[in-house]
Amino acid sequence: MVSKMTKIVNPMGMHMRPAGMFAQEMMKFNSDVVLVFKDKEINAKSIMNLMAACIKCGSELEVRCTGDDEQAALDKAVSLIESGLGE
Amino acid sequence: MLKGTGASAGVGIGHALVVKEQNLDYSAVQFAGQQQETERLKAAASAVSQRLSNMAAEMTEKVGEHAAEILSGQIMMLNDPFMMGQMEEQIAAGNVAEAAVDTVCQTFIAMFSGMEDELMRQRATDIGDLRARLLKQLLGLPDVDLAHAPAGTVIVAKDFTPSMTVGISRENVVGIITEIGGRTSHSAILARALEIPAVLGVPGAADTIQNGDSIAMDGEFGHVYVNPDERTLKDYEARREEFEHQRQMLKAYLNKPTVNADGRAVGLYANIGKPEDAQAALEKGAEGIGLFRTEFLFMDRDSLPTEEEQMNAYRQVAALFAGKEVIIRTLDVGGDKEIDYLHMKKEENPFLGHRAIRYCLDNPETYMIQLRALLRAGADHKNIKIMLPLVTGLEEIRAAKAMLEKAKKELAAEGLPFDANAQVGVMIETPAASQIADLLAQEAAFFSIGTNDLTQYTLAVDRGNPDVASLYTHFHPAVLRSIANVIKAAKKAGIPVGMCGEAAADPALIPLLLSWGLDEFSVSASAVLATRRTISLWSQQEADDVQAEAMNLSSVKGIQGYLASMIKK
Repeated sequence: MVSKMTKIVNPMGMHMRPAGMFAQEMMKFNSDVVLVFKDKEINAKSIMNLMAACIKCGSELEVRCTGDDEQAALDKAVSLIESGLGE
Repeated sequence: MLKGTGASAGVGIGHALVVKEQNLDYSAVQFAGQQQETERLKAAASAVSQRLSNMAAEMTEKVGEHAAEILSGQIMMLNDPFMMGQMEEQIAAGNVAEAAVDTVCQTFIAMFSGMEDELMRQRATDIGDLRARLLKQLLGLPDVDLAHAPAGTVIVAKDFTPSMTVGISRENVVGIITEIGGRTSHSAILARALEIPAVLGVPGAADTIQNGDSIAMDGEFGHVYVNPDERTLKDYEARREEFEHQRQMLKAYLNKPTVNADGRAVGLYANIGKPEDAQAALEKGAEGIGLFRTEFLFMDRDSLPTEEEQMNAYRQVAALFAGKEVIIRTLDVGGDKEIDYLHMKKEENPFLGHRAIRYCLDNPETYMIQLRALLRAGADHKNIKIMLPLVTGLEEIRAAKAMLEKAKKELAAEGLPFDANAQVGVMIETPAASQIADLLAQEAAFFSIGTNDLTQYTLAVDRGNPDVASLYTHFHPAVLRSIANVIKAAKKAGIPVGMCGEAAADPALIPLLLSWGLDEFSVSASAVLATRRTISLWSQQEADDVQAEAMNLSSVKGIQGYLASMIKK
């Protein structure tokens, strides 16, 4: 398992558009991708879980990836989040 | 006449097509075994997904990618491995596919409906729509086909779901009426994107209105006439023509900078009364919020809104306008705005009484909640400016600022994030404030001229009183001099000055405001484009000439007549 702390920077937080984009990107990896936010584990391949977690701008969270392409998945996840999830 | 929420402006005249809700009862469906139910579920999901993709493509072509996002969102939800997994678990527990869809969707609907964030609450509608689509597919029910509705159709439904929106076009549908939904609902956003007039939230509409009824509706004011008489119909026809003409002309000004004829830029903001109005303001091209009235938060309830509640409302607008200014006016109670639970005393002269900043400073425990909420709401985007209403002297600004400093200390001590540099400005709406604008500028970071109250107080006219209402006009030289004085004082002090009263959108007054150098015009969302157009028609020289000429005249009639004659068409 690899993991890294990161922070949500897009103004609207994890609403539908960024959540959908993020989940779709994560589905391209074999690894399990989990966001740890407020002690809860969120399946990053699920748009519903991502939206339900109410992650706002400025929220800090941990990305954990486990699987054969875990490093690539982690790098992609962190770069997407830090670049504002396309917003 | 029926009344609802005007959700998409425009006038619609046509005949009603009442869309009845389909019966989605699945109690008669028999469990056919886990494998078969799972296959049915997957087949239904893939069919719905395919259909939604087709719709999204059609929608993108028809009204643009932004409106189609609602549908692509639904497709992503449908393909969510987690949600599908939960449905499959339901089937594994012995439930038919329909029950699996229903149970899982209802859980998510409940979860999203309970969220504080308005945007998230709207996801509940998406999931409800998805649920209905999946159930219809599983039960083999036909889709409601609106694509073949005859020209001149007014659609009447309990709720207008995103998928219903897709089948329709401006060519055949001239209006939308629903029983539920508000200005920010999907239906409203889509109706606006399609430019189809819509009145939402009309109680009992789908029962009251019969198929084929003649309908005349106004999507701005939320009025619906069922089988109107000849005169109403004529009136609506004239208004429809006028509206369409305006719409076409103003379209050219959407997403354009606000500049005068010389290319000098001025700010064009919107006035809003509720967080929900912010979306429409943004769609209309507002470059910021120049007046966010906060009374709505306090009205129609039995107790004070909490700090969190207020903060969420303010933050919602701040997030939508991230990178742009949001000027929020602190509580303006008293006068004609009564709030029962504040137990304000009956006054002989409420407009000269214990209202707005006066009431707030005397009730620090109430005011403090709002000030804290405002500071906290600005934490993310640092774009909230605080505006004090009904100021008459420096002491009031100083007192309010002292409270803000105290609030900041408290928040810092509590470790809560807030905007430590939130600017504090003054709404200039009393003759006193206008007279001492130069002094107020020492403490105020900005001015915003509130012409409605400024006119009423300057002229000592209650515009609600029909016997004197005709005396109420911002073309009175006393009001004009007052406005000029405020703008001049702001310029001298180097602080920005805006106007958030109705006068800011008056095409007859705009040349004067441009000549004096008003920095920011804040108008209702529906007036943004027309104001941008008016501003674009005036060069500085022309505006200066008209201003000099108007200020040389001495009577209201003379000034008003002259300025009206100078309006550029």
